[in-house]
Amino acid sequence: MTGLLDFWNQSLPQLLTGFTLSLQVTGLSLALGIPLGLVLALTLQSASRWLRWPSLVMVEIGRGASILVLLQFVYFGLPSAGLTLSSFASAVAAFCWCTAAYTSEIIRAGLQSVHHGQSEAGEVLGLDPAEILRFVILPQGLPVCVPTLLGFSILMLQASSLAFVVALPELMSKAQLIGSNTFRYMPLFALTAILYAAVCIPATIVVGRLERRLSRHI
Amino acid sequence: MIEVSGLVKDFGAHRVLDGIDLSVQRGEVIAMIGPSGSGKSTCLRCLNLLEAPSAGLLRVGDVTIDASRPVTRRQRLGFRRPLGMVFQSFNLFPHMTVLRNVSLAQERVLKRSRREADEISRQLLDRVGLGAKADQHPSRCSGGQQQRIAIARALALDPEVMLFDEPTSALDPELGLEVLNVMQELAAGGMTMIVVTHEMHFAESVSDRVLIMADGRIIEQGPSAEVMRNPQTERAQRFLSAVMNR
Repeated sequence: MTGLLDFWNQSLPQLLTGFTLSLQVTGLSLALGIPLGLVLALTLQSASRWLRWPSLVMVEIGRGASILVLLQFVYFGLPSAGLTLSSFASAVAAFCWCTAAYTSEIIRAGLQSVHHGQSEAGEVLGLDPAEILRFVILPQGLPVCVPTLLGFSILMLQASSLAFVVALPELMSKAQLIGSNTFRYMPLFALTAILYAAVCIPATIVVGRLERRLSRHI
Repeated sequence: MIEVSGLVKDFGAHRVLDGIDLSVQRGEVIAMIGPSGSGKSTCLRCLNLLEAPSAGLLRVGDVTIDASRPVTRRQRLGFRRPLGMVFQSFNLFPHMTVLRNVSLAQERVLKRSRREADEISRQLLDRVGLGAKADQHPSRCSGGQQQRIAIARALALDPEVMLFDEPTSALDPELGLEVLNVMQELAAGGMTMIVVTHEMHFAESVSDRVLIMADGRIIEQGPSAEVMRNPQTERAQRFLSAVMNR
Protein backbone atom coordinates (compact mmCIF):
# COMPACT_ATOMS: atom_id res chain seq x y z
CA MET A 1 0.00 0.00 0.00
CA THR A 2 2.75 2.43 0.94
CA GLY A 3 4.53 1.34 -2.22
CA LEU A 4 1.48 2.46 -4.23
CA LEU A 5 1.20 5.79 -2.45
CA ASP A 6 4.91 6.45 -2.88
CA PHE A 7 4.66 5.68 -6.57
CA TRP A 8 1.61 7.98 -6.92
CA ASN A 9 3.42 10.64 -4.99
CA GLN A 10 6.41 10.43 -7.34
CA SER A 11 4.35 10.46 -10.52
CA LEU A 12 1.83 13.09 -9.49
CA PRO A 13 3.88 16.26 -10.20
CA GLN A 14 4.62 15.12 -13.74
CA LEU A 15 1.04 14.05 -14.31
CA LEU A 16 -0.18 17.39 -13.00
CA THR A 17 1.95 19.37 -15.47
CA GLY A 18 0.43 17.16 -18.16
CA PHE A 19 -3.05 17.72 -16.81
CA THR A 20 -2.53 21.49 -16.76
CA LEU A 21 -1.71 21.28 -20.44
CA SER A 22 -4.82 19.13 -21.06
CA LEU A 23 -6.95 21.76 -19.34
CA GLN A 24 -5.29 24.55 -21.34
CA VAL A 25 -5.86 22.83 -24.67
CA THR A 26 -9.47 22.05 -23.77
CA GLY A 27 -10.15 25.52 -22.36
CA LEU A 28 -8.68 27.31 -25.36
CA SER A 29 -10.49 25.04 -27.84
CA LEU A 30 -13.80 25.67 -26.11
CA ALA A 31 -13.20 29.41 -25.77
CA LEU A 32 -12.55 29.68 -29.51
CA GLY A 33 -14.75 26.82 -30.70
CA ILE A 34 -18.06 27.69 -29.02
CA PRO A 35 -18.23 31.27 -30.41
CA LEU A 36 -17.31 29.81 -33.80
CA GLY A 37 -20.11 27.28 -33.26
CA LEU A 38 -22.52 30.18 -32.72
CA VAL A 39 -21.33 31.80 -35.94
CA LEU A 40 -21.79 28.51 -37.82
CA ALA A 41 -25.24 28.01 -36.28
CA LEU A 42 -26.23 31.39 -37.74
CA THR A 43 -24.55 31.03 -41.13
CA LEU A 44 -26.10 27.57 -41.56
CA GLN A 45 -29.53 29.22 -41.42
CA SER A 46 -28.51 32.08 -43.66
CA ALA A 47 -30.39 32.69 -46.87
CA SER A 48 -27.15 33.20 -48.80
CA ARG A 49 -25.65 30.01 -50.10
CA TRP A 50 -22.20 31.64 -50.10
CA LEU A 51 -22.42 31.54 -46.32
CA ARG A 52 -24.40 28.34 -46.00
CA TRP A 53 -22.32 25.98 -48.11
CA PRO A 54 -18.86 26.63 -46.64
CA SER A 55 -20.39 26.39 -43.15
CA LEU A 56 -22.03 23.10 -44.01
CA VAL A 57 -18.70 21.70 -45.24
CA MET A 58 -16.95 22.85 -42.04
CA VAL A 59 -19.62 21.29 -39.83
CA GLU A 60 -19.94 18.03 -41.71
CA ILE A 61 -16.17 17.42 -41.78
CA GLY A 62 -15.86 18.42 -38.13
CA ARG A 63 -18.59 16.01 -37.12
CA GLY A 64 -18.01 13.35 -39.71
CA ALA A 65 -14.27 12.83 -39.41
CA SER A 66 -12.91 11.39 -36.18
CA ILE A 67 -10.94 13.71 -33.91
CA LEU A 68 -7.93 11.48 -34.39
CA VAL A 69 -8.07 12.11 -38.12
CA LEU A 70 -8.49 15.86 -37.63
CA LEU A 71 -5.54 15.98 -35.23
CA GLN A 72 -3.20 14.11 -37.52
CA PHE A 73 -4.46 15.97 -40.57
CA VAL A 74 -3.56 19.29 -38.96
CA TYR A 75 -0.26 18.17 -37.43
CA PHE A 76 1.14 15.85 -40.11
CA GLY A 77 -0.93 16.85 -43.13
CA LEU A 78 -0.86 20.66 -43.17
CA PRO A 79 2.96 20.96 -43.27
CA SER A 80 2.89 19.55 -46.82
CA ALA A 81 0.60 22.47 -47.66
CA GLY A 82 3.20 24.81 -46.20
CA LEU A 83 1.58 25.35 -42.80
CA THR A 84 3.53 23.90 -39.89
CA LEU A 85 1.94 24.18 -36.47
CA SER A 86 3.35 23.19 -33.09
CA SER A 87 1.72 20.21 -31.42
CA PHE A 88 -0.09 22.59 -29.05
CA ALA A 89 -1.40 24.76 -31.88
CA SER A 90 -2.39 21.68 -33.91
CA ALA A 91 -4.29 20.20 -30.98
CA VAL A 92 -6.11 23.48 -30.35
CA ALA A 93 -6.93 23.87 -34.06
CA ALA A 94 -8.31 20.33 -34.35
CA PHE A 95 -10.31 20.43 -31.11
CA CYS A 96 -11.56 23.90 -31.92
CA TRP A 97 -12.81 22.65 -35.31
CA CYS A 98 -14.52 19.70 -33.67
CA THR A 99 -16.03 21.90 -30.95
CA ALA A 100 -17.35 24.43 -33.47
CA ALA A 101 -18.92 21.68 -35.58
CA TYR A 102 -20.71 19.95 -32.70
CA THR A 103 -21.71 23.06 -30.79
CA SER A 104 -23.15 24.65 -33.92
CA GLU A 105 -25.82 21.92 -33.85
CA ILE A 106 -26.37 22.32 -30.10
CA ILE A 107 -26.75 26.09 -30.45
CA ARG A 108 -28.94 25.83 -33.54
CA ALA A 109 -31.31 23.58 -31.60
CA GLY A 110 -31.30 26.04 -28.69
CA LEU A 111 -32.10 29.02 -30.91
CA GLN A 112 -34.85 27.10 -32.68
CA SER A 113 -36.43 26.31 -29.32
CA VAL A 114 -37.38 30.00 -29.04
CA HIS A 115 -41.01 30.30 -30.05
CA HIS A 116 -41.56 31.63 -33.57
CA GLY A 117 -43.95 34.27 -32.22
CA GLN A 118 -41.01 35.94 -30.51
CA SER A 119 -39.27 36.87 -33.73
CA GLU A 120 -42.62 37.84 -35.27
CA ALA A 121 -43.19 40.20 -32.35
CA GLY A 122 -39.78 41.73 -32.98
CA GLU A 123 -40.54 41.99 -36.67
CA VAL A 124 -43.85 43.83 -36.28
CA LEU A 125 -42.16 46.22 -33.84
CA GLY A 126 -39.80 47.18 -36.67
CA LEU A 127 -36.62 45.61 -35.29
CA ASP A 128 -34.19 44.46 -37.98
CA PRO A 129 -32.97 40.83 -38.09
CA ALA A 130 -29.74 41.62 -36.22
CA GLU A 131 -31.67 43.39 -33.46
CA ILE A 132 -34.15 40.52 -33.19
CA LEU A 133 -31.23 38.13 -32.83
CA ARG A 134 -29.44 40.25 -30.26
CA PHE A 135 -32.33 41.33 -28.07
CA VAL A 136 -34.90 38.57 -28.52
CA ILE A 137 -33.52 35.24 -29.76
CA LEU A 138 -30.03 34.93 -28.24
CA PRO A 139 -30.99 35.94 -24.69
CA GLN A 140 -33.68 33.25 -24.70
CA GLY A 141 -32.01 30.56 -26.82
CA LEU A 142 -28.48 30.52 -25.40
CA PRO A 143 -29.40 29.69 -21.77
CA VAL A 144 -31.22 26.64 -23.13
CA CYS A 145 -27.93 25.40 -24.61
CA VAL A 146 -25.82 25.83 -21.50
CA PRO A 147 -26.28 22.37 -19.91
CA THR A 148 -25.66 20.60 -23.22
CA LEU A 149 -22.60 22.76 -23.91
CA LEU A 150 -21.18 21.97 -20.49
CA GLY A 151 -21.79 18.26 -21.06
CA PHE A 152 -19.97 18.57 -24.36
CA SER A 153 -17.10 20.42 -22.66
CA ILE A 154 -16.63 17.48 -20.27
CA LEU A 155 -16.41 15.13 -23.23
CA MET A 156 -13.84 17.42 -24.85
CA LEU A 157 -11.64 17.34 -21.76
CA GLN A 158 -11.66 13.55 -21.97
CA ALA A 159 -11.08 13.66 -25.72
CA SER A 160 -8.06 15.93 -25.19
CA SER A 161 -6.20 12.74 -24.21
CA LEU A 162 -6.11 11.97 -27.94
CA ALA A 163 -3.61 14.80 -28.39
CA PHE A 164 -0.87 12.36 -27.36
CA VAL A 165 -0.79 11.25 -31.02
CA VAL A 166 0.63 14.64 -32.01
CA ALA A 167 3.26 14.41 -29.27
CA LEU A 168 1.62 16.95 -27.00
CA PRO A 169 2.88 16.25 -23.45
CA GLU A 170 -0.60 16.33 -21.89
CA LEU A 171 -1.84 14.03 -19.14
CA MET A 172 -2.16 10.90 -21.25
CA SER A 173 1.30 11.30 -22.87
CA LYS A 174 2.86 11.84 -19.45
CA ALA A 175 1.21 8.69 -18.15
CA GLN A 176 2.44 6.72 -21.16
CA LEU A 177 5.93 8.08 -20.63
CA ILE A 178 6.08 7.19 -16.95
CA GLY A 179 4.57 3.81 -17.75
CA SER A 180 7.16 2.94 -20.35
CA ASN A 181 9.89 3.62 -17.78
CA THR A 182 8.36 1.91 -14.76
CA PHE A 183 6.01 -0.64 -16.32
CA ARG A 184 3.56 0.01 -13.45
CA TYR A 185 0.68 0.70 -15.80
CA MET A 186 -2.11 -0.40 -13.54
CA PRO A 187 -1.61 2.06 -10.65
CA LEU A 188 -0.51 4.73 -13.11
CA PHE A 189 -3.64 4.71 -15.23
CA ALA A 190 -5.75 4.42 -12.11
CA LEU A 191 -4.29 7.75 -10.95
CA THR A 192 -4.76 9.23 -14.42
CA ALA A 193 -8.40 8.18 -14.37
CA ILE A 194 -8.83 9.74 -10.92
CA LEU A 195 -7.46 13.04 -12.21
CA TYR A 196 -9.89 13.18 -15.14
CA ALA A 197 -12.74 12.10 -12.87
CA ALA A 198 -11.82 14.72 -10.27
CA VAL A 199 -12.78 17.40 -12.80
CA CYS A 200 -15.47 15.60 -14.78
CA ILE A 201 -17.64 14.23 -11.98
CA PRO A 202 -18.12 17.56 -10.14
CA ALA A 203 -18.74 19.20 -13.52
CA THR A 204 -21.43 16.61 -14.29
CA ILE A 205 -23.10 17.36 -10.97
CA VAL A 206 -23.07 21.09 -11.78
CA VAL A 207 -24.67 20.35 -15.17
CA GLY A 208 -27.42 18.32 -13.49
CA ARG A 209 -28.17 21.13 -11.05
CA LEU A 210 -28.16 23.70 -13.84
CA GLU A 211 -30.56 21.63 -15.93
CA ARG A 212 -33.03 21.42 -13.09
CA ARG A 213 -32.71 25.12 -12.42
CA LEU A 214 -33.23 26.12 -16.04
CA SER A 215 -36.23 23.86 -16.50
CA ARG A 216 -37.93 25.33 -13.43
CA HIS A 217 -39.41 28.23 -15.41
CA ILE A 218 -40.62 26.16 -18.35
CA MET B 1 -55.91 54.73 -44.91
CA ILE B 2 -55.71 51.10 -46.05
CA GLU B 3 -56.54 49.79 -49.48
CA VAL B 4 -56.44 46.11 -50.38
CA SER B 5 -57.33 44.80 -53.80
CA GLY B 6 -57.32 41.28 -55.16
CA LEU B 7 -55.40 39.85 -52.20
CA VAL B 8 -54.70 36.16 -52.74
CA LYS B 9 -52.73 33.83 -50.48
CA ASP B 10 -51.86 30.25 -51.39
CA PHE B 11 -50.22 27.76 -49.07
CA GLY B 12 -49.00 25.24 -51.63
CA ALA B 13 -52.03 24.10 -53.58
CA HIS B 14 -54.41 25.37 -50.92
CA ARG B 15 -55.93 28.80 -51.56
CA VAL B 16 -56.50 30.44 -48.18
CA LEU B 17 -57.43 33.91 -49.38
CA ASP B 18 -59.31 34.16 -52.62
CA GLY B 19 -59.44 37.74 -53.77
CA ILE B 20 -59.94 40.07 -50.81
CA ASP B 21 -60.90 43.69 -51.51
CA LEU B 22 -61.01 46.03 -48.59
CA SER B 23 -60.69 49.70 -47.90
CA VAL B 24 -60.45 51.19 -44.46
CA GLN B 25 -60.97 54.84 -43.64
CA ARG B 26 -58.98 56.69 -41.01
CA GLY B 27 -60.60 56.24 -37.59
CA GLU B 28 -62.71 53.30 -38.69
CA VAL B 29 -63.00 50.23 -36.45
CA ILE B 30 -63.50 47.01 -38.35
CA ALA B 31 -64.33 43.61 -36.91
CA MET B 32 -63.52 40.51 -38.96
CA ILE B 33 -65.55 37.51 -37.94
CA GLY B 34 -66.17 34.12 -39.44
CA PRO B 35 -65.65 30.42 -38.85
CA SER B 36 -62.21 28.98 -38.08
CA GLY B 37 -60.14 28.44 -41.19
CA SER B 38 -61.98 31.11 -43.12
CA GLY B 39 -58.77 33.12 -43.60
CA LYS B 40 -59.33 35.96 -41.10
CA SER B 41 -55.97 35.65 -39.37
CA THR B 42 -54.13 35.00 -42.62
CA CYS B 43 -55.70 38.13 -44.06
CA LEU B 44 -54.51 40.17 -41.10
CA ARG B 45 -51.04 38.63 -41.28
CA CYS B 46 -50.82 39.43 -45.00
CA LEU B 47 -51.79 43.00 -44.18
CA ASN B 48 -48.55 43.52 -42.26
CA LEU B 49 -46.53 41.14 -44.45
CA LEU B 50 -45.96 38.49 -41.78
CA GLU B 51 -47.24 36.26 -44.56
CA ALA B 52 -46.12 37.14 -48.06
CA PRO B 53 -49.23 37.63 -50.21
CA SER B 54 -49.35 35.51 -53.37
CA ALA B 55 -51.08 38.18 -55.43
CA GLY B 56 -52.77 41.53 -55.04
CA LEU B 57 -52.08 45.11 -54.11
CA LEU B 58 -51.75 46.46 -50.58
CA ARG B 59 -51.58 50.11 -49.68
CA VAL B 60 -51.09 51.64 -46.25
CA GLY B 61 -50.86 55.43 -46.16
CA ASP B 62 -48.78 56.22 -49.23
CA VAL B 63 -46.73 53.01 -49.38
CA THR B 64 -47.94 50.41 -51.86
CA ILE B 65 -46.84 46.78 -52.03
CA ASP B 66 -47.39 44.78 -55.20
CA ALA B 67 -47.36 41.06 -54.40
CA SER B 68 -46.21 40.19 -57.91
CA ARG B 69 -42.91 41.98 -57.36
CA PRO B 70 -40.21 41.15 -54.83
CA VAL B 71 -40.41 43.32 -51.73
CA THR B 72 -37.20 44.87 -50.39
CA ARG B 73 -36.53 45.01 -46.68
CA ARG B 74 -36.73 48.77 -46.81
CA GLN B 75 -40.17 48.71 -48.44
CA ARG B 76 -41.35 46.21 -45.87
CA LEU B 77 -40.14 48.37 -42.99
CA GLY B 78 -41.76 51.48 -44.46
CA PHE B 79 -44.99 49.63 -45.09
CA ARG B 80 -45.18 48.28 -41.55
CA ARG B 81 -44.13 51.48 -39.79
CA PRO B 82 -47.71 52.81 -39.30
CA LEU B 83 -49.07 49.39 -38.32
CA GLY B 84 -49.24 48.12 -34.74
CA MET B 85 -49.94 44.43 -34.15
CA VAL B 86 -51.34 42.48 -31.22
CA PHE B 87 -51.17 38.68 -31.29
CA GLN B 88 -53.47 36.05 -29.84
CA SER B 89 -50.60 34.65 -27.76
CA PHE B 90 -49.31 38.11 -26.64
CA ASN B 91 -45.69 37.28 -27.60
CA LEU B 92 -44.20 39.49 -24.93
CA PHE B 93 -40.46 39.04 -24.42
CA PRO B 94 -40.32 36.85 -21.29
CA HIS B 95 -36.71 37.67 -20.44
CA MET B 96 -37.33 41.41 -20.12
CA THR B 97 -39.25 43.44 -17.59
CA VAL B 98 -42.59 44.83 -18.65
CA LEU B 99 -41.00 48.26 -18.99
CA ARG B 100 -38.20 47.00 -21.28
CA ASN B 101 -40.79 45.20 -23.38
CA VAL B 102 -42.48 48.52 -24.10
CA SER B 103 -39.31 50.61 -24.35
CA LEU B 104 -37.01 48.44 -26.49
CA ALA B 105 -38.47 49.16 -29.92
CA GLN B 106 -38.87 52.87 -29.13
CA GLU B 107 -35.14 53.08 -28.52
CA ARG B 108 -34.11 50.95 -31.50
CA VAL B 109 -36.67 52.05 -34.08
CA LEU B 110 -37.66 55.58 -33.07
CA LYS B 111 -34.19 56.36 -31.63
CA ARG B 112 -35.66 57.71 -28.42
CA SER B 113 -33.30 57.92 -25.46
CA ARG B 114 -33.85 55.37 -22.74
CA ARG B 115 -35.20 58.00 -20.35
CA GLU B 116 -37.62 59.37 -22.89
CA ALA B 117 -38.74 55.87 -23.92
CA ASP B 118 -39.22 54.72 -20.33
CA GLU B 119 -41.26 57.80 -19.56
CA ILE B 120 -43.57 57.18 -22.52
CA SER B 121 -43.77 53.49 -21.60
CA ARG B 122 -44.86 54.29 -18.06
CA GLN B 123 -47.54 56.64 -19.35
CA LEU B 124 -48.84 53.95 -21.70
CA LEU B 125 -48.76 51.30 -18.97
CA ASP B 126 -50.75 53.67 -16.74
CA ARG B 127 -53.20 54.12 -19.57
CA VAL B 128 -53.84 50.36 -19.78
CA GLY B 129 -54.01 50.22 -15.98
CA LEU B 130 -50.68 48.48 -15.40
CA GLY B 131 -48.34 51.21 -14.18
CA ALA B 132 -47.59 49.12 -11.08
CA LYS B 133 -46.35 46.17 -13.14
CA ALA B 134 -43.60 48.07 -14.98
CA ASP B 135 -40.68 46.48 -13.17
CA GLN B 136 -41.98 42.92 -13.10
CA HIS B 137 -41.49 40.20 -15.66
CA PRO B 138 -44.40 39.19 -17.92
CA SER B 139 -44.59 35.74 -16.31
CA ARG B 140 -45.79 37.45 -13.13
CA CYS B 141 -48.76 38.95 -14.97
CA SER B 142 -52.10 37.36 -15.82
CA GLY B 143 -53.03 36.72 -19.44
CA GLY B 144 -55.25 39.77 -19.53
CA GLN B 145 -52.48 41.92 -18.12
CA GLN B 146 -49.99 40.49 -20.61
CA GLN B 147 -52.28 41.32 -23.50
CA ARG B 148 -52.73 44.89 -22.24
CA ILE B 149 -48.93 45.18 -22.00
CA ALA B 150 -48.74 43.94 -25.59
CA ILE B 151 -51.18 46.68 -26.59
CA ALA B 152 -49.06 49.28 -24.78
CA ARG B 153 -45.97 47.93 -26.55
CA ALA B 154 -47.62 48.35 -29.94
CA LEU B 155 -48.94 51.83 -29.08
CA ALA B 156 -45.46 52.95 -28.01
CA LEU B 157 -44.46 53.21 -31.68
CA ASP B 158 -47.26 55.70 -32.43
CA PRO B 159 -49.11 53.49 -34.92
CA GLU B 160 -51.81 54.88 -37.16
CA VAL B 161 -53.58 51.54 -37.46
CA MET B 162 -53.81 48.78 -34.87
CA LEU B 163 -54.25 45.18 -36.01
CA PHE B 164 -55.61 42.69 -33.48
CA ASP B 165 -55.41 38.95 -34.15
CA GLU B 166 -57.96 37.31 -31.84
CA PRO B 167 -56.68 39.29 -28.87
CA THR B 168 -59.00 37.66 -26.33
CA SER B 169 -59.15 34.09 -27.63
CA ALA B 170 -56.46 32.83 -25.23
CA LEU B 171 -58.13 34.46 -22.21
CA ASP B 172 -60.98 33.46 -19.96
CA PRO B 173 -64.03 35.72 -20.31
CA GLU B 174 -63.30 37.88 -17.28
CA LEU B 175 -59.70 38.62 -18.28
CA GLY B 176 -60.81 39.08 -21.88
CA LEU B 177 -63.07 41.87 -20.69
CA GLU B 178 -60.12 43.93 -19.35
CA VAL B 179 -58.59 43.73 -22.80
CA LEU B 180 -61.84 44.59 -24.57
CA ASN B 181 -62.24 47.65 -22.34
CA VAL B 182 -58.81 48.91 -23.34
CA MET B 183 -59.64 48.29 -27.00
CA GLN B 184 -62.95 50.10 -26.61
CA GLU B 185 -61.14 53.13 -25.20
CA LEU B 186 -58.72 53.04 -28.10
CA ALA B 187 -61.61 52.94 -30.54
CA ALA B 188 -63.31 55.83 -28.77
CA GLY B 189 -60.05 57.77 -29.02
CA GLY B 190 -60.24 57.59 -32.81
CA MET B 191 -57.69 54.83 -33.52
CA THR B 192 -58.09 52.99 -36.81
CA MET B 193 -58.47 49.34 -35.92
CA ILE B 194 -58.89 45.99 -37.63
CA VAL B 195 -59.89 43.31 -35.16
CA VAL B 196 -60.12 39.61 -35.94
CA THR B 197 -62.36 38.32 -33.21
CA HIS B 198 -64.89 35.83 -31.93
CA GLU B 199 -66.32 38.42 -29.52
CA MET B 200 -69.70 39.03 -31.09
CA HIS B 201 -70.66 41.70 -28.61
CA PHE B 202 -67.52 43.68 -29.43
CA ALA B 203 -68.18 43.26 -33.14
CA GLU B 204 -71.72 44.49 -32.81
CA SER B 205 -71.34 47.34 -30.36
CA VAL B 206 -67.80 48.71 -30.73
CA SER B 207 -66.90 48.27 -34.36
CA ASP B 208 -68.23 50.50 -37.12
CA ARG B 209 -68.20 47.81 -39.72
CA VAL B 210 -68.29 44.03 -39.64
CA LEU B 211 -66.76 41.76 -42.27
CA ILE B 212 -67.84 38.16 -42.33
CA MET B 213 -65.34 35.83 -43.94
CA ALA B 214 -65.82 32.28 -45.15
CA ASP B 215 -63.65 30.11 -47.39
CA GLY B 216 -61.12 32.84 -48.06
CA ARG B 217 -63.62 35.48 -49.17
CA ILE B 218 -65.48 38.33 -47.56
CA ILE B 219 -69.04 37.07 -47.90
CA GLU B 220 -70.77 39.96 -46.25
CA GLN B 221 -69.92 43.37 -44.88
CA GLY B 222 -71.60 46.52 -43.69
CA PRO B 223 -72.53 48.58 -40.64
CA SER B 224 -72.13 46.35 -37.60
CA ALA B 225 -75.61 46.15 -36.17
CA GLU B 226 -77.14 45.68 -39.62
CA VAL B 227 -74.87 42.80 -40.63
CA MET B 228 -75.07 41.10 -37.28
CA ARG B 229 -78.84 41.25 -36.96
CA ASN B 230 -79.88 40.87 -40.54
CA PRO B 231 -77.34 38.93 -42.59
CA GLN B 232 -78.24 38.45 -46.24
CA THR B 233 -76.32 35.39 -47.35
CA GLU B 234 -77.21 31.90 -46.24
CA ARG B 235 -73.61 31.15 -45.12
CA ALA B 236 -73.50 34.25 -42.92
CA GLN B 237 -76.89 33.44 -41.44
CA ARG B 238 -75.71 29.94 -40.58
CA PHE B 239 -72.52 31.25 -38.93
CA LEU B 240 -74.26 33.97 -36.96
CA SER B 241 -77.05 31.75 -35.72
CA ALA B 242 -74.40 29.28 -34.55
CA VAL B 243 -72.50 31.89 -32.54
CA MET B 244 -75.41 34.02 -31.33
CA ASN B 245 -77.89 31.33 -30.25
CA ARG B 246 -75.78 29.41 -27.79
